[in-house]
Amino acid sequence: MDLFRTFILRRLRKEKLRALATVVGVALGIAVVLAVRMANQSSVRSFETALETVAGKTSLEIAGSGQGLREERLLELGWLERFGQISPVIEGEARASFPSGEREWLKILGVDILRDETLRDYRLVRFADRQQSPPPREFLELLSDPGAIVLTQKLARRYGLDPGSGLDLDIGDRRKTLTVRGLLLDRGPARALNGTFALMDIAAAQWLFGRLGRIDRVDLRLKPGISIDRAEAAIAARLPEGLRVQRPSRRGRQVEKMLEAFHFNLTALSHIALLVGLFLIYNTVSLSVVTRRREVGILRAVGVSRRQVAGLFLAEAGLLAALGCALGILLGGWLARGALTLTGSTLDRLYIRSAAEPVSLGPEHLVLAFAVGIPLALLAALVPALEASRVPPTEAVRGADRVESRFRLSWRQRWLPAILSVLAVGFACLDSVDGLPLFGYAACLAIVFAVAFLVPVVLHVSGRVGSRLTRRWAGVEALLANANLSGSIPRISISVAALAVSLSMVTAITIMIGSFRETVQYWVEQTLRADLFVAPATRSNVYSESTLSPEVVRLISTNPRVAAVDPFTSFNIDYQGRRVLLGSGDFEVHLSHSGLLFKTPRQGQSAMRAAIGEDAAVVSESFALRHRKAVGDRLVLTTDQGQRAFRVAAVYYDYSSDQGVVVLDRSTFRKYYGDRPPRSLAVYLKEGLDPERARSEMLAGLPPESRLFVHTNASLKTEVLRIFDNTFTITYALEIIAVAVAILGVATTLVTLILDRKPELALLRWAGAEQRQIRKMVVIEAALLGAVSQGLGGVAGILLSLILVFVINVQSFNWTIQFHLPAGFLLQSSLLILLATAISGIYPAYRAGRMPPAREA
Amino acid sequence: MPVLSAEGVGKTYTRGEAPVVAVREVNLTLEKGEFAALTGPSGCGKSTLLHLCGGMDYPTRGRIWLDGIDLGSLDEGRLTRVRRRQVGFVFQSFNLLPTLTALENTALPLMLDGASPEVARRKAAGLLERLRLLHRLGHYPQQLSGGEMQRVGIARAVCHDPLLLLADEPTGNLDSASGSDVLELLQELNRSLGVTVLLATHSAEMAAAGRRVLHMVDGRIESDLESRRPIAGHDPGD
Repeated sequence: MDLFRTFILRRLRKEKLRALATVVGVALGIAVVLAVRMANQSSVRSFETALETVAGKTSLEIAGSGQGLREERLLELGWLERFGQISPVIEGEARASFPSGEREWLKILGVDILRDETLRDYRLVRFADRQQSPPPREFLELLSDPGAIVLTQKLARRYGLDPGSGLDLDIGDRRKTLTVRGLLLDRGPARALNGTFALMDIAAAQWLFGRLGRIDRVDLRLKPGISIDRAEAAIAARLPEGLRVQRPSRRGRQVEKMLEAFHFNLTALSHIALLVGLFLIYNTVSLSVVTRRREVGILRAVGVSRRQVAGLFLAEAGLLAALGCALGILLGGWLARGALTLTGSTLDRLYIRSAAEPVSLGPEHLVLAFAVGIPLALLAALVPALEASRVPPTEAVRGADRVESRFRLSWRQRWLPAILSVLAVGFACLDSVDGLPLFGYAACLAIVFAVAFLVPVVLHVSGRVGSRLTRRWAGVEALLANANLSGSIPRISISVAALAVSLSMVTAITIMIGSFRETVQYWVEQTLRADLFVAPATRSNVYSESTLSPEVVRLISTNPRVAAVDPFTSFNIDYQGRRVLLGSGDFEVHLSHSGLLFKTPRQGQSAMRAAIGEDAAVVSESFALRHRKAVGDRLVLTTDQGQRAFRVAAVYYDYSSDQGVVVLDRSTFRKYYGDRPPRSLAVYLKEGLDPERARSEMLAGLPPESRLFVHTNASLKTEVLRIFDNTFTITYALEIIAVAVAILGVATTLVTLILDRKPELALLRWAGAEQRQIRKMVVIEAALLGAVSQGLGGVAGILLSLILVFVINVQSFNWTIQFHLPAGFLLQSSLLILLATAISGIYPAYRAGRMPPAREA
Repeated sequence: MPVLSAEGVGKTYTRGEAPVVAVREVNLTLEKGEFAALTGPSGCGKSTLLHLCGGMDYPTRGRIWLDGIDLGSLDEGRLTRVRRRQVGFVFQSFNLLPTLTALENTALPLMLDGASPEVARRKAAGLLERLRLLHRLGHYPQQLSGGEMQRVGIARAVCHDPLLLLADEPTGNLDSASGSDVLELLQELNRSLGVTVLLATHSAEMAAAGRRVLHMVDGRIESDLESRRPIAGHDPGD
């Protein structure tokens, strides 16, 4: 410990900046990992917590095909009473507008209060004094009025509402005003979703959500002593066709599965910053060992054992990592909020409306940070620490030899990159594991390490080329800079590798996103042909259950400007444990106006025409890949009339849902699922009409209380790309952090190199180098490091992008994207990186410039 | 006009609490083409005086003129430029940049002064050829012998035709054969280029090479002799 204090701590205290940079690097890495983990957990957990709280004492639920079951089927379910209490429910979401002008989503549960009280625990405020539930009769009276709604006390307080206040709700494209009749105490389901929960009578809820004659599901509370497993099996065996029994948590698992790939990829990305942070630890300890060889020699000469020497440097790494982890935890909690905002909007747009449950730092995160950070840091420091332990005691006598031995290619540098590249190709050919692209990431990791091992070779070669170029063309500062770098290859390799690796990731992700964007843009151009798109204002994503009211559909369809209307109906179904969108459109209208891009068969149009009126479906590529269905295969769907098989007529490209879409022709759909209100309309105008004008005129002809989004073709395309760009904001944010950490590494390395080269710098000053020239030299060194890193990172990035585009993306999201190289953007970002690294050289340059000219060096 | 003149020059360092006087009240004039040896025991202030004369440090009192320019009146940048153009320095431990070749090390002062790489390299190559190092142009310092390194060091010190050549124990790290080689070289350059040489040494043989011998004790110049013989009574120990 004493040796640690004198040998390591004192030195760290002297080199505060280097220590600080390393700690900050590790902290950022840990923070990003924690932040993404917390944000991911929060999005799933908020859904699951809400699910659990609202489920109350429900043990099982009976659901129909996709959206609920017909009310009359309840009669067939009388026998369920033998298993326990049952309660039919309607569950929906509405957007509430409060008097303050603020808006918030509400989860509304419609129940038959007399039955439901045994399943869920409701306490009304005005009965709170008596600490008991209101008598069911009184509760029933509260809700008997079809315009009545009961809010939580928490929400009412937040927005200044009282019993008797009116409340505006947007459901689908309609606005309805209800009256607040009572307030729920903060317990039972009222605890869900931070109070954004409301209770209604089931009949009123049916009316509110336009689901007359249907209920969403039947909740069942088992009698004591009946095992859930047995009850589930017994009920499943007896249920009539078209109905299924499941545990409430299944919906949670479905959401978890849906978000799995999205979360997995975010997590993988978040580890890049950590990887770079660990490079920084390796870097710091290596530099510490390299610059202190002589001191290590002295320690060995006076009797310090090899093990102790290795221990000292490992302890240095452990200390820096521990500080980094501690700082990372603090930083992580803060970053998590940002990550949640960024992922939250993506989840809203692409998957589920996520409740903004605040992220919280738990003991689990503390353990995670230290359990991941410290062992990895020690592992990273192991190689340099062992190197230090092998320093012979004679090193002390030989004197500090600042000159690096001339660089020679070792077998490691020669063969490892080749072996790793072969491994990468091998991994890239392997299939996903349980829907997750584990081998794809293994391939990426192999490339990353290949790059790291290639760095010394590249530095060696570029130093040679550089010396030839500078000899002839450049000033003395460039010559010196190039010579300095060539002379310290082993020392700079690690920081160049760290920078190259993070830059390769940025390049790869930029190419991947660029390719994806190009593909989506092409797809949008080809498939979005309608002049106007109409959707309820409350629709937030493709899985949203908002519908258009029949009146709006009728008014638009009969508008004299309109040539044709393609109503799209859809709802979420459970297909083999996963959420899938089942949709229906008018194939006839679609074929004559729109331009779906078919993957198979080549004659997709005629295949689609042949599906009209048949038990056949057109499926999206993501559905086909995820569930391994090809044209001609049969897929079994639960319909209102029980299980039915549908032939896959064609597979089309779709980028609106990575969960998969199954589309039936309107007539087929109606046959099996009845008439359902559409979720959106594609409107084709008569020839020669201006869409903007037609839009305004159409809106003017609709009832004033309609709440609609009417996009023109152009504005929808813009909107699609805007959502696309938003989705990848977090990706860029994570990348920028990784690059920042790497640049921090370069700056630290430069400062250390300068301290280490003090005598040479003094000599230069003596030989007449001005401060300005020394500073210029150091900045050129930094820029050269940046250039080599960017060059290597660029090439590796293109390789990585191939894996991202053709392996990871396909395995995670089940859609193909076309490769596209955004050359202009890459060039731009390369220049920016060069500039950034050059800037990172400014402080070291300032330090170097301040060195006095030589005494005896 | 003398190449170098010093008037009442003193230098005091502050080490921790206590001030250390390294040079006190030195008066010195060197004419063009002179070859002077500066002798004295270790720690007597030889190196400090050399540094002050070469514009590497400012004196704390007195004034130094190099070619008529008052060094104390110059700012850092100007002082650097004077050093770059007018002064050459030969070190005991050669102090070559390990990352530059012999040729590049030699051409360094010219290149730092803005000479084109082509011109600087041609001049350096010519000089190294004269110093019998033509076969070593592309070699790095660690590939050279001690004597060769010091010859490159000398080539670098005179490559830019300085007025004043300062040498601080230039043979201290060399065997005797290489040592006399280096000494001869310095004398030859003094003769042929007319460069003024001030050589700090505690070797009697080296001091004998000087036509003028300055002996320092405790920061002062104790004697200033025009002599061809070693100074009697001086103990050349380190």
